[in-house]
This record gives sequence, C-alpha cells and structure tokens, in this order.
Amino acid sequence: MSVIITPAMVGQVVISGLLAGALYSMVALGLALIFGVMRVINIAHGTILMLGAYTTFWWFHLLGINPYLSLLASMPLMFLLGLLLQRTLVTRVVDAPELSSLLLTFGISIALVNLAQLAFTSDLRSVEFLTGAFLVGPIALSKSRLVSFGFAVTITFLAFWFIQKTKLGKAIRATSQSSEVAMICGINVQRIRLYAFGIASALAGAGGSLVAVIFAIQPEMGQIYTFKSFLVIVLGGAGNYPGALVGGMLLGLVEQLSSLFLTTQLSEAVAYVLLVLVLLLRPTGLLGGRAK
Amino acid sequence: MRRTLFAALVVALILLALYPLMATGYGIRFMLQLFMWVALAQSWNLISGLTGYVSFGHVAFFGTGSYAAAILVTTHGWHWVPASSMGGVAAVLLALIIGYPCLRLKGPYFAIAMLGLNEVMRVLVSYFEGLTGGGLGISLPILYASVQIYYGMGLAAVIVTAAAYLIITSRFGLRLMTIREDEIAAEAMGIDTARYKLYAFLLSAFIPGVVGGLSARDQGYIEPLSVFPLLTTITMIVMALFGGKGTIWGPVLGAVTLFVLQELVWVRFLYLHQILFGAIIVFVVLLMPRGILGVLQQRYRLPRTL
Amino acid sequence: MKISRRLKEYLGRILFGFALGLLIWDSAVAQAPVKIGASLSLTGSYSALGQNQQRGYQLCAKHVNEKGGVLGRKVEFVLYDDQSQGATGVRLYERLITQDKVDAIMGPYSSAITEAVANVNEKYKMPMVAPMASTTSIFKKGRKFIFMVQSAAEVYLEGLIDMAAKRGLKTVAIINEDTLFPKATVEGTKELAKQKGLQVSFIEGYPKGNTDFSAILTKVRTASPDVLAAATYFDDAVAITRQMKELNVNPKMYGVTVGGDLPTFYQLLGKNAEFVYGATQWEPELPYPGAKEFVVSYSTEFPGRDLSYHSAGGYAGCQILVEAIKRARSVDGEKIRAEILKMDLTTVYGGFKVDEGGFQLSHKMVMFQWQEGKKVIVWPDELAAGKARFPTPQWSQR
Repeated sequence: MSVIITPAMVGQVVISGLLAGALYSMVALGLALIFGVMRVINIAHGTILMLGAYTTFWWFHLLGINPYLSLLASMPLMFLLGLLLQRTLVTRVVDAPELSSLLLTFGISIALVNLAQLAFTSDLRSVEFLTGAFLVGPIALSKSRLVSFGFAVTITFLAFWFIQKTKLGKAIRATSQSSEVAMICGINVQRIRLYAFGIASALAGAGGSLVAVIFAIQPEMGQIYTFKSFLVIVLGGAGNYPGALVGGMLLGLVEQLSSLFLTTQLSEAVAYVLLVLVLLLRPTGLLGGRAK
Repeated sequence: MRRTLFAALVVALILLALYPLMATGYGIRFMLQLFMWVALAQSWNLISGLTGYVSFGHVAFFGTGSYAAAILVTTHGWHWVPASSMGGVAAVLLALIIGYPCLRLKGPYFAIAMLGLNEVMRVLVSYFEGLTGGGLGISLPILYASVQIYYGMGLAAVIVTAAAYLIITSRFGLRLMTIREDEIAAEAMGIDTARYKLYAFLLSAFIPGVVGGLSARDQGYIEPLSVFPLLTTITMIVMALFGGKGTIWGPVLGAVTLFVLQELVWVRFLYLHQILFGAIIVFVVLLMPRGILGVLQQRYRLPRTL
Repeated sequence: MKISRRLKEYLGRILFGFALGLLIWDSAVAQAPVKIGASLSLTGSYSALGQNQQRGYQLCAKHVNEKGGVLGRKVEFVLYDDQSQGATGVRLYERLITQDKVDAIMGPYSSAITEAVANVNEKYKMPMVAPMASTTSIFKKGRKFIFMVQSAAEVYLEGLIDMAAKRGLKTVAIINEDTLFPKATVEGTKELAKQKGLQVSFIEGYPKGNTDFSAILTKVRTASPDVLAAATYFDDAVAITRQMKELNVNPKMYGVTVGGDLPTFYQLLGKNAEFVYGATQWEPELPYPGAKEFVVSYSTEFPGRDLSYHSAGGYAGCQILVEAIKRARSVDGEKIRAEILKMDLTTVYGGFKVDEGGFQLSHKMVMFQWQEGKKVIVWPDELAAGKARFPTPQWSQR
C-alpha cells in the first residue's frame, strides 16, 4: 500500500534534505573540530545541543523575544560550558586510549540529560514562532526551516572563515594535523584544545537554538544529533573540515531520499550502512584527505 | 595461596549452585541478571580488554541471540536450551560477517562502525516483520523456568570466565595483548593479527548471543528497542572497566560491585540514579582507568594476569 | 548557665518529639498498612507519561487514606523506577512481591513493559490491575491475574473511522510509530476501515524517536486520502501536525491516538491544533461519578502538571483494586480476583467490567476535536458535547 513517486515529491524531499543538511553540517563541524584537534569522539555533543535548545525555549518563553535572537545567548553560554567541560574533565583523557574519552563523554552526557530532566521535566516543549510554509507550485517550503537554514549557513560560513583565515583558526588546523609539530612550532596546544571545544560547543548550541524553532524539544533529544554528527564526519572524512559541510548535506539527502524511496524506518539503516561502507572502502572520507 | 584461592572459588560455586534451594523469587531473578552482566562484561573484555579494539555495539550480539532464540521457540517450538545455544551461533555468524571487514578499522573508527552495526541490526529487525514481528515484538509462551535459567546464566558466566582464564594465561592471549600494546610491532613479530583479532571477536560474540536467548526466554517478551539499547553496551563496558579490563577477574568484580550497588542504593533515589551512574562513569575513567584490580595490582604487586 | 538551660529545653523538646514519633510509629505497626507495589517509567523514554500515572497512584492512596483506608488499614505505595526497560521492570516486580512482600500490585506504564512483567505476578497468583496496558494480546494468553482498565489499542480510532464512514468519505491513510501499541492500533484500524467500507490507501511506519516526517508526509500528500489516521505517542503527534502544515498536507479529517489529548498538545501547537481529532480513554468533562472531585483535587495536589488520562487511569485502577480488597475483606490473591471478575462499576474513568482473561469489556473510547482551544467530545453520539467541524479547511484558510 504505497504511492507512486512523482518528480514533485522528489523535489520536495530534496529540498527538505538540503534544509536539514545545513543544520547537520553546522553541528557536525563542531564534532569534527573536537575530533580533529584531540581525537576525542564527544558523545556529549548532542547533549550540549539539547541545552542550547532549552536556552532558546526559556528565552522565548520568559522574555517573549524573537527566538532567533537567542543565538546571542545560547552560543556564548554553550561556549562557556564547553570551556568548563574541557578544562575540568575532557583534558584529562585527551591522550588516553579512545575508550576513556568515549566513556567520559558518555558519563557527562547521561548526567546532563538527567539533570535537565530534573530541572526542566521530561515534558515536551516547543517554540511556536514561525509555522507554516511558502507554497511554490507543488512544493511547500517550511518557513522555520528556511530561516534556520539561512542562519545555519551563515554561522557555518563564519566558523569556516574563522578556521581558514584567522591566526587562531590556523593554529587549530595545525594542531589537528599534528599536535606534536604544532607544539614545537610554539603553539599552546592546551589553549587550542580549550578553544576548539568551546567553539564546537557553541556550534552545537546554535544547532539547538535552530532545532528548537523547528521541532519540539525534550531532554533526550540530543543523542540522535550526536549519532548524525558521527555519520557526517565519517562521510566527510574525520578531521577534514570542508568534508563536514559536504557530509552534512549528503546525510540530509540520503535520509530524505531513502525515506521516500524505501521507508522512514529503513532510512536510518541506509545511513549507517553507508557509514560502514565508507569506513571500509574510503576510510579517509568521500572527499579523501588524511587518514589517521 | 593459589590453592586457598582455588578452594574458595570451588566453595563459592557450590554455594551458588545450592542458592536456589533457599532463595526467594527475587533473589533468583537478581542473581540471574547478575550472572548475565558478568557474562556480558567478560565477553566484551575478551575482544576489547585484550586487543584494545573497543566494541561500542556489543549489544548487537545480545539482541541477535535474543531474536534467533525467540523465533526458534515460538515458530519452531524448540526447547529454550538448544534455542539459546543457536542464539549464540547466530551471534557468531554475525560476528564473522562483520568482523572480517570491520576489524581492519583502527581506533575510534572501529568503535563507530560497531555502534552503526547495532543501529542497523535494530532497524533490520524492525523492518523484517514477517520473521520478527517488527515493532510488535515477539511474545513467547508463558514458562516458569527462573531456576533453570538461573543455572543457564550461571553456566554462561562460568564458561566465559574460564575462557578468559585460558586465553589470558596462554600464548593466544599474549598475542592478543601484543596487538593491544602495539599492532605494528605484533605484525613485525610475525603474528597474524587479522586472524587472532577475528578469533577473539568470534569468541566474544558467542556468549552474548546465548545470554540474549536466555534473557528472551526469561522475559517472555522482546521488542527491537528492548534488546538493542546503547545503554546495555555502555553498562557492560563500565562494568569491565570498573573491575579492571584485560584481567580475568576484573569484569566479574566490576559487574558484581556495580549491579549490587545499583540494587541497594540507586533504587532508593528514584530520579537521581542516572545522574549517579554518569558520575560513577566519570569517576572511574578519570581516577581509576585500570579499575579496582588495576589499583590492587599496582599496590600489592599482584600478578598482571589475575 | 543560661545557655545550658536553653540546651536542656531543646533536648527536652527533641526527646518529646521522638517519643511522640515512637508512639505514632507503634500504633502504625499495630495496623501495618496495605502495601501496594508498582514500578513505573520515571526516567527514560516513557518518563513523562509514567510520571503522570504515578501522580494518579499517589492521589488515589491519599484519598483512600483520608476516607479511613481499607480493611481499617492505611494504603501505602512502594514505587520503583524501571527506567522504561522491561528487564528492570521484571526484576523490580519480583522484588516487590517476594522481597518487599507487598500485599497487591498495580501495573507499570506502557503495553510493552506490562507484557514483560505480567508473567511475574501470574507466577505468584497476585492480581495486577494494569491501567495503562491496552494491547489485546496481553490478555489473550490465558493469564488469570492481570486486569485491563481501558479500551483496547485496536479500537482507538473507531470513532474517527465511524465518523468518516457516516460522512461518506472513501479513503484513509495510516501512519504509525513502529512499536507494540501503535502497531496494534494499526491492525485494528485496518479491520475497522474494511468493515465500514473505507479503502486504506497508504500505510507506513516510522521508528520511535523520529523527528523529521517530511518524506512520509510527502507520500501522504500524494496519496491524498480523505482521512489521515496517525497511531502515535506524544512527541510524534506534535511533530506530524506541525509538519503537515509545513508540507501543506490537507486531509478532510486528521486524527491521532495518544498525545492529542494532553493540554500541552494545544500549548505546543497553538491554533494549528484546531480541527485535529484525538482519541482518548478519558476526558475531565465526561460525567463519570467522582470525576469532578478528582480533577479538582488533582490540580490542587499537583499544580501546573498536565492532567491526562494516564493520571485518571492510574487513579481509577488503584480505586478498583482497593474496592476489590474491600469486598474480598482480605488481600488474598484468589479472593481479590474473584471480586474483580464480579465487578461491574463506573469509576472516574468510565465503565469497568472484565472477562475471565482480564480483558476489558465495558470501557468506552471517546473522540474529541480541538475547537477554539477546547477539546470538544464529538463521538460517540451519546457522550458528544458538540458537533464536529467538518471538513477540515486547507491550512492556508485556517
């Protein structure tokens, strides 16, 4: 009992995929930064996104101001949280085997999620700001997703410009290529790690703010974004920052198209099968680049 | 010393074997699930503790075993003992299919691939409704066999711990640990690393499959979400780590301590126990990454292979 | 000296308080409370609804005790958290029965967890009133000690299908979360649609935790059914409604199973919730005996918390158990079972009468529609408080 797929439907889901993909790119760029600089897979990345989402919710709920402006609060707040986590906890496991960092960030994640459940309750919350769609022929463009797309692209572009052009950004790239060499060149690697974690958390926080305007939120929402970010950085090539951008778009498209041509249930599996295939066949990601 | 330890072990096993004669239903259920965690933590230890390859999706084998056994029981009318054993076989088959390619991946990539495998398995099980019931899950006929399953789980825990003992004290175990310390050096020494990693992986998959089958029979109802949760993988890892990974008795010690702690303490904090669990993980990773046994070994110069 | 006198005074007071406490404790021991055990999903994925149910249990215990308890004894709940996991639930029920030695038990949250723990109480012949289990199969396995309180999952959308058929609509699309309870709803809805002569033009499931429904709703839009029936929990009901607007999906009728009835549904969606039909086991406005008092005391006891059918079901389930204990004049499992089988009551939650397997026969579902921020009951006719607004206008004209 299915329907025949028309070109208009394909167009619709391609657009949905690209709109979602920009968000994935932005969030995953954060995870890629942390992975690049420290070889740490941060399972708490999605949890930080969740906290960013709640920042936006409370901003809108208590102040009643345009929720997109809450980016001005969520990004700095999550930046600080990132600094704090890195300074107190994560820095201690950077050079340990990956098991330590995986578990440590999982521990942080589960504690934060349950604290959020106590503080905010597990009730679903949402920011009803821009609902509805612009209708262009047979295709509907969601207003909130379009605006979020715009913000995501802008923020990602700024972050990218920062990594490519500024002195600090160059130091970050140098550290992710080889922290030993960077250290010899006089880069304060500890400080770079601190900033990288902060920036990454700010990107996750921004993701949370934008997600909060599109979907309803609850404390356990984060894990799914952690997993999606894994997929993105593997598809794009871990430690390869432009790869994260391409990977995000690709993931958005794969999810939507496989939901359309197969079923929504299978789309998750398709993404993971793709992940394993990419790992096996092109461990450096689809764009190539540096393997470990 | 060695002889007294051995005698103590024999006495403990005899006491555990006699325990159901005087236990309450809860006591049996509790011990049965404790054995399950010992078996799971020890199985994870066989691959990840020894070779250093972090299996971040080990619950995939548990879930596969659960489904294989549940299908055999419900649609083919098998007895739960052979069905659970086939659960183990199914898990080994899965490990064979994915182990060969995935074990080539290093470090975090292997961990992510295993995580992905678990998600794929869960989705596939949901999707092939004809075989698995999909989201409806599988409801097994009612059977009161807690005591028998207690022995089954206990046996699984004993087998996998004995296997850990045999491996760690053998050349095979030494080779695996060489891979963990330095894989390139191991290869240079002429160790066929791919083959040994695969053997360890297959061994580590069998018991989770069996235990999955036993657990499915014990619960009487399984669904994709209940047998493939990430939290189960994490729990078995934390248990192994807490006791001391790469050792024989570490995973046993870790599973017993954490599970008893959970039952005694956490049950009293209805909303706080998950936060405590998170805090314990952070504590273990930062302050005792080598686990209880690791600390003891360092302090009292105990043998590394305890 | 002055200080020490004051200290003495304090000590005296403390001792007095302590003695008083002992006295009270002593009299309580003389009449040990009736302990009712339950484990609920207080954390994990079902926590929001599990906590609603918990509040129902707590309020019931309070009310029973205010009226002097049962068998001259107080009622006391022993509650645990199953973390939304069946395996933990099984262990905890075993603990409640054999370790804590509770006198009776109440059910957990969700069909899936109830299915797992139902074998435990069956083994000990301890009756379990299971207010939040609505999957029929649980009650058709020959168990004797589990009792259903609410209507079966299979008939959740009967109202929607019935109203659609009466209006002469022809096609229906069904989407569902792929877990036990929604899937059972789908099976039932397919059957009902066939009986009423509607054609099911599209069915697709989505995984639990899914947030993006673009692709599935795009397919629904192409299938262009008269009726869209969604077998949901809560998060997905909100997301689907919102994304239907974003994708301009316009069926003539659109109904959800769980979640649409929560006041939060309207708070989250605002006027986009207008015209949405929801199936519910219970509504505060329904004229069942005691319902008004229940609603009032719930809002004073738990200010600011959602009042949903989960709370009312928990409350009523517990009332049923207490009534059965009262009639049996004992906490003996077989006697309580016998009394429950004889019951034919109307509780705050509606009718209660079960067959030999504990399957619910008398409880009725209702269907409401969101109209100007209020849930107006529109089905069945004998309980309807208003008329359904039909057809649902296009999103652009709302």
